[in-house]
Amino acid sequence: MKKYFKQAWRGISASKSRTFLTTLGIMIGIGTVILVLSAGEGFKSYINAQIDAFGSNSVIIETVVPASTKARNSGSAQDGGSSSANNAVPIKTFKNKDINDIKNLNNVQNAYGAALGQQVVTYGNVSKNIFIFGADASRFDIDKGEIASGRPYTEEEDSALAQVAVLGHDIAIDLFGENDPLGKYVRVGSYNFEVIGVYARRGSFGYSNDDEQVFIPISTLQKKILGIDYLFYGVAELVDNNKSETTGLDIADLLRRNHFITDINKDDFKVQTQAQSMDTFNTILSAVTFLLIAIAAISLVVGGVGVMNIMYVVVTERIAEIGLKKALGATNKDILYEFLIESILLTCIGGVVGIIGGSLFSFIIAKVVQSQGITWAFSVPLYGIILSVSVSMVIGIIFGVFPARNAAKLNPIEALNKE
Amino acid sequence: MLIDLKNITKEYDNSGVVTRVLHGISLEVEEGEFLSIMGPSGSGKSTLMHIIGFLDRPSTGIYNFNNEDTKDFPDDDLARIRNERIGFVFQSFNLLARTSVLDNVILPLTYSKLENHIERATKALESVGLGQRLGFMSNQISGGQKQRVAIARALVCDPKVIFADEPTGNLDSKSGATVMNILQKLNDEGRTIILVTHDRTVAEHAKRIITIRDGMIVMDEKIANQIRNVPVEDRD
Repeated sequence: MKKYFKQAWRGISASKSRTFLTTLGIMIGIGTVILVLSAGEGFKSYINAQIDAFGSNSVIIETVVPASTKARNSGSAQDGGSSSANNAVPIKTFKNKDINDIKNLNNVQNAYGAALGQQVVTYGNVSKNIFIFGADASRFDIDKGEIASGRPYTEEEDSALAQVAVLGHDIAIDLFGENDPLGKYVRVGSYNFEVIGVYARRGSFGYSNDDEQVFIPISTLQKKILGIDYLFYGVAELVDNNKSETTGLDIADLLRRNHFITDINKDDFKVQTQAQSMDTFNTILSAVTFLLIAIAAISLVVGGVGVMNIMYVVVTERIAEIGLKKALGATNKDILYEFLIESILLTCIGGVVGIIGGSLFSFIIAKVVQSQGITWAFSVPLYGIILSVSVSMVIGIIFGVFPARNAAKLNPIEALNKE
Repeated sequence: MLIDLKNITKEYDNSGVVTRVLHGISLEVEEGEFLSIMGPSGSGKSTLMHIIGFLDRPSTGIYNFNNEDTKDFPDDDLARIRNERIGFVFQSFNLLARTSVLDNVILPLTYSKLENHIERATKALESVGLGQRLGFMSNQISGGQKQRVAIARALVCDPKVIFADEPTGNLDSKSGATVMNILQKLNDEGRTIILVTHDRTVAEHAKRIITIRDGMIVMDEKIANQIRNVPVEDRD
């Protein structure tokens, strides 16, 4: 086999610029595959970091419009509920008491309820219309967000409807610029709130951006700002994450009791574990990755046709050489293998350069994203490399076999006479 | 008997038009002979050489090589015979471009079962006086040297027969004389040489000349006083 590699390599190295141009299509295709897979890994690391920050061993309790209500409202049947946040129908049954009861369940370490309101926040001449996030003080124990300066609010301040606020990183800069916001008062709606803390930068997560929000005690938000007594959602931190499924069921039972729900189809809440969230995310990511790789595959096919085209040209160019080799004792099989291996080498070179190029590009992307303060791991999955090399070889075989067979079948006399 | 042809014909079918190039050639060549095949262009001498050299098959007739009928030999067996028993020297040298002299000579070894490729190729090149040109590229040497490289390549697998098709056709007289000298030396060492040429002077370096015309042997003569060149110093 070594002899075939030697002859194939001689052919390839004879025309370096043509080799480069021939393999360009494969390089781009494989580079794109690597880029997509690496970006997928990076995105996964970003989501994991966000979930970790949110509390990786937690379950989320969302309010949802019950299926039966939704069906009545929309006139169409639905299997499950959909988030009340996405609907015009507010669900008012999820209360602070539910959170207190959840806190008493087995395997629940801590829990908080949260609500959100949009208000104009003013300091000096600067006004911003932003989201005010209200949550129990226990959120500061569960959520991994780092308070860069000052302190979080306490349970006592929550109970006392204290007008204290912790600012997100960006809103603090928007309102105060270079000045220290601690101890200053911002106006939220018609109330003045003392700034007691400022978050370190966190980056956005989905459509929510903690950096542009103001965080105040839930009771203050409910009673003074929104005039409501219910929560939008809750988060429970678990003792043992391995029991998250069971605890999720316990929470659901508890809420059904509290909300007097006897029919499971009329649930006005949804309990989602982080494992379920990750499953959903992975399913979406896999679908998107598959789609992008399918697009990259078009480039690979085009690249393969390019290789085939050049291999036909190479066979024509080397007819005299093929004749000579046959005269010197090369069998049809020898010639077939030489050209097939040359084709495989061409596509593999393209594949390897594509892997290096794709990895390099992924590395640059990771560095750029990381420079924006976002967690984005650079990683090229091993299966991606193995897949790329295998695909390159298969393309080399598929698109090289016909030109190689043509070469092998050449009559040595006719080939020699081409000289 | 090394080569025994009996009533060999060769026909080419070109879109239904059949052209007969060889008309019942019978020829015997003993081991160690130096035979010239002469004839004008289109006489069929090259076709005959291709058939004797297993580059082509006859349309009809029997070809015994080393007392074996080769009719039913598969292509791979013919390739093996070309590799192990036969060496070819062509008019236009047929060296691989952008390849060193040494690698050109190694080429037949690539397809053989023989080992020690570099040692064998070096020895073959030394035997034709090119031991100092191993690393030269094939385009960096003169025409005479190229033909000597081709002879070294024909020799490297230690064949029984060397076929030389107009080996001096592209050379000046001095280089041509050197090449003919080498072929005579190889014959003196016991190798069978079959030379194809249209040039009587070149042909007379052999011990026997057959003349072909219109696909038939019209003369078979022994040369009593074969031409012997005085070895000339290589000035290439």
